[in-house]
Amino acid sequence: MTPNGAIAFGLLVIAAAIAARDLVSLAVVLALLTVFALASRRSIVSALLWSAGIMLPLAAFMALVWVGIVGRAPHEIAAGTEGSRAAAAAYVTVVCTRLFVIALAVQALFLHFAAWTPLGFVRALTAPPVARKLLVLTLSLIETILHAVDRARTALIAGGIVTRQFSWRNLRHGWILVQTVWLIVVVIAIGRTRDKWPIEATLSRLDTALGASAPRLAAADIGWGAAGLACLIAAIGLR
Amino acid sequence: MFTTPRLVAIALCAALNFAIGNVVYLVKLPIYLDSIGTILCALLIFPDRIAAICCAFIAGLIGVILSGLVINPFLPWFTFSVLAIALVSALLTARATDTFRAQPLVPLPFFGKVILYGVITGIVSAVVSAPVVVYLFGGVTGSGSAFLVAFFLKTGEQLLNAAVLAGLTTEPIDKTLQVLVAALLYRATPREFIAMLRPAQPAT
Repeated sequence: MTPNGAIAFGLLVIAAAIAARDLVSLAVVLALLTVFALASRRSIVSALLWSAGIMLPLAAFMALVWVGIVGRAPHEIAAGTEGSRAAAAAYVTVVCTRLFVIALAVQALFLHFAAWTPLGFVRALTAPPVARKLLVLTLSLIETILHAVDRARTALIAGGIVTRQFSWRNLRHGWILVQTVWLIVVVIAIGRTRDKWPIEATLSRLDTALGASAPRLAAADIGWGAAGLACLIAAIGLR
Repeated sequence: MFTTPRLVAIALCAALNFAIGNVVYLVKLPIYLDSIGTILCALLIFPDRIAAICCAFIAGLIGVILSGLVINPFLPWFTFSVLAIALVSALLTARATDTFRAQPLVPLPFFGKVILYGVITGIVSAVVSAPVVVYLFGGVTGSGSAFLVAFFLKTGEQLLNAAVLAGLTTEPIDKTLQVLVAALLYRATPREFIAMLRPAQPAT
């Protein structure tokens, strides 16, 4: 499977989840997504746990607001009827299942490319060269920023300017950490752009690396794309 | 439009948008700060407005896509909010670049413009984000503003109206803080880096 096909499949599944209006339709989408995740031949437990970890706090919050506080579903509010907590709970279940499907779709895509490097993934994408170059530069700079965050945070904690735990000092001085990180990264970026990259011909090497031809679609992409499209049509048809 | 320094600036601002979540987590701040890179990119590229809009939007877009892949899969749905923030930042907020870099800092115009542009950005962001909050999240996104949505629903408002009103209550505060941080970062950015982002002048 290629990244292009995987992204197209992911978008179709997410569109189907958005189009689905009840739990039956969402169950169809979830079933296809589970098969897709299992087809990666990797354990899908971590993907399920990550998606549940994202969703459970949100689901609890939604239940508190809709079932606990509001006490009726949006369509009941729109109709001006008294409504019931059961209808609100049903509404929360559908919304949460839909969001779970979206979260799981992203994780299922990750499973298929778990062994790939970010550069390899970006290289195989069908996208304008500038967009691919930007993605690679951003991924590179995220690492730089995260290192800068570590260094700056350690220095500021040692200097007593911020603390490890929540504190009022963090609220007052948190922006100093952001500013310090920014200065470190900008200085690194200036050094790279002006001196390091021209000498090492980094950008032309990157152009060469990203310019290498990669297959746009594979046979598996067509199959999964058709399944995703069928799922979308089914979700719309079941409305 | 996309010179190498500008590509680096876009990547930096996208990475800043992405990494800022990490910073907020580390210092346990009760705010989001998820568009600072977008606003800062517009400030850096100004006065080339078209380039500022494009670069700020691309920085924001890459930021939400990467954050969506790694941290929060629902962020990419707010792409239109990113576009709106890029437009406001490039067309309005960036007009204050001289004030933001004035030496020494003059508090009244500096903070006045930060608040003015922050509130405008917040209002625009709230209006653009509300349909996503309603149709994707059912009005509840897990932030404290959900209680405001519940309050407005209790007062008899429709869901979309409740989401817009809740957004208008909370977003201006968050966006004012973001404009403030972006202005402070812009102020701290070396002059040399900003000069690199200017379009090449034709030889005379």
